[in-house]
Amino acid sequence: MNRALTVARLQFVAWPLVVGWPWGILASSFLINLAIFASIGDADPEPTTGGLASIYIVMFIACVNVIIQEFPFAMGLGMSRRSFYLGSLLHFVGQAIVYAGVLHLLSVVEKATGGWGLDLTFFGLPFLLVENPVLRYLAFAIPFLLLGFLGFAIALVFKRWGINGMLTLSTAAFVGIGGLAALTTWRGWWPAIGGWFADQSGGALLVGWPALLALPLAAVSYLIIRRATP
Amino acid sequence: MSPVVTVTDLTKRYGGVTALDGVSFSLAENRIYGLLGRNGAGKTTLMQILTAQNFATSGDVAVFGQHPYENERVLSRISFIKESQTYPSALRVHHVLRAASLVHPCWDEELAQQLVDDFRLPPRRNVRKLSRGMLSSLGIIVGLASRAPLTFFDEPYLGLDAVARQIFYDRLLADYTEHPRTIVLSTHLIDEVSDLIEHVLLIDRGRLLLDVEAEALRGQVLTVAGPVAAVDEFTRTGAELHRVLLGGAARATVRGDFGPTDHDRARALGLTLEASSLQDTVVRLTTATNGAAPATVGATSKEAVR
Repeated sequence: MNRALTVARLQFVAWPLVVGWPWGILASSFLINLAIFASIGDADPEPTTGGLASIYIVMFIACVNVIIQEFPFAMGLGMSRRSFYLGSLLHFVGQAIVYAGVLHLLSVVEKATGGWGLDLTFFGLPFLLVENPVLRYLAFAIPFLLLGFLGFAIALVFKRWGINGMLTLSTAAFVGIGGLAALTTWRGWWPAIGGWFADQSGGALLVGWPALLALPLAAVSYLIIRRATP
Repeated sequence: MSPVVTVTDLTKRYGGVTALDGVSFSLAENRIYGLLGRNGAGKTTLMQILTAQNFATSGDVAVFGQHPYENERVLSRISFIKESQTYPSALRVHHVLRAASLVHPCWDEELAQQLVDDFRLPPRRNVRKLSRGMLSSLGIIVGLASRAPLTFFDEPYLGLDAVARQIFYDRLLADYTEHPRTIVLSTHLIDEVSDLIEHVLLIDRGRLLLDVEAEALRGQVLTVAGPVAAVDEFTRTGAELHRVLLGGAARATVRGDFGPTDHDRARALGLTLEASSLQDTVVRLTTATNGAAPATVGATSKEAVR
């Protein structure tokens, strides 16, 4: 556990960049949206932007980067794969917990200031279905985990099996998803699927299902890294 | 005293390529080993397996008595500096040193700072903007300042100028004298390190050709020159590794268990005789026809030649 903590600290030695990228990009996205909607005036009475997604995308890329760049470095310094994985998880989950808290806070401020005086929804969740405050917080946090663990898993496939592994994975995903889509169309299941999604609560879509997907991804990543070479 | 490293019948195959072929040896505590061999001989693979960065196909390794794979107790006592080490692109030189200090329990910050000055490394420069030589010196600083009980240097000098290499050798020897530890130095610049190395491990095509004390090896390989008949007479007592003919004269490299009587005999035959340098020895052994190594070997050496 000690060594896992060391790995987490290792990834923070250049912390201004670790924190700077996600928040810098989110801030610039926010300011641009603010400027645009302030200048176009009443064209859209209650604008909602997708700008919040930027921080999630940056964190996904950061997780890919942890495997591609930090893994060979930490292994070179003599870390075990287990410590590296636990430490990276710790490092990332720690960030997700704090970042989700800040985002939640900003969404509260947004509501209190009447959408920054513009009725703008930037930090507020698109699904207003989540009313419970704990669930609202989790709705910010859990998608970080899903994307982050997805980033770890994909990058680890590349690290362990190289470009052939990536191509196999893409082919499998393409055939799998395409096949399911074909089957759904053939059997006329689309309305049923649409109905299923519509029946899900916001909490299930933003918290429950992502958490259920994130856990097996984390487990699979651990199995892959056990035999990965830097 | 139990050995620091024990390797038993280690084999590593990559697809159809055999990188290591039944290698066995052990490393004693507090010595400097020279791991020598040509490009692609299997040196890096061997060190990667010893540090659990790669996996053996068959055979056993024990480091500090245990298998290194996922073994914190073992891994925290190893420092492995390799030429191909990459660094996260966000890091500056001082970040890398900070990271290494977090990882290595015996880290000496004062030594690290002094080496940064010695090698004239700009501490605030991004690692991606370092020249090849500067990158090498960064690795060397990490390797020396980590003071790990088992330290591997895998061709650490790439792009380093002669002055910087000399600083490395001097610092290595000085720090080793003060803080003895087991050091494995893999290098191509054999003549430069021949005074440093206490024990020679020579690998060729994945096989261990030599596992011998440097001192013992020095007397074992001789170069004799003189009339062909006299050279023929002398080389009968050893195994001839190499010969150059120049008219009626010959110059031959011979390996055998030579003593003072052999030196007298050479003089009596009218031959000039000199001990081969370590580099010559390595070159002759790895290029000797069909790898046929001599049968006569000293009591201190072991052979793994088939």
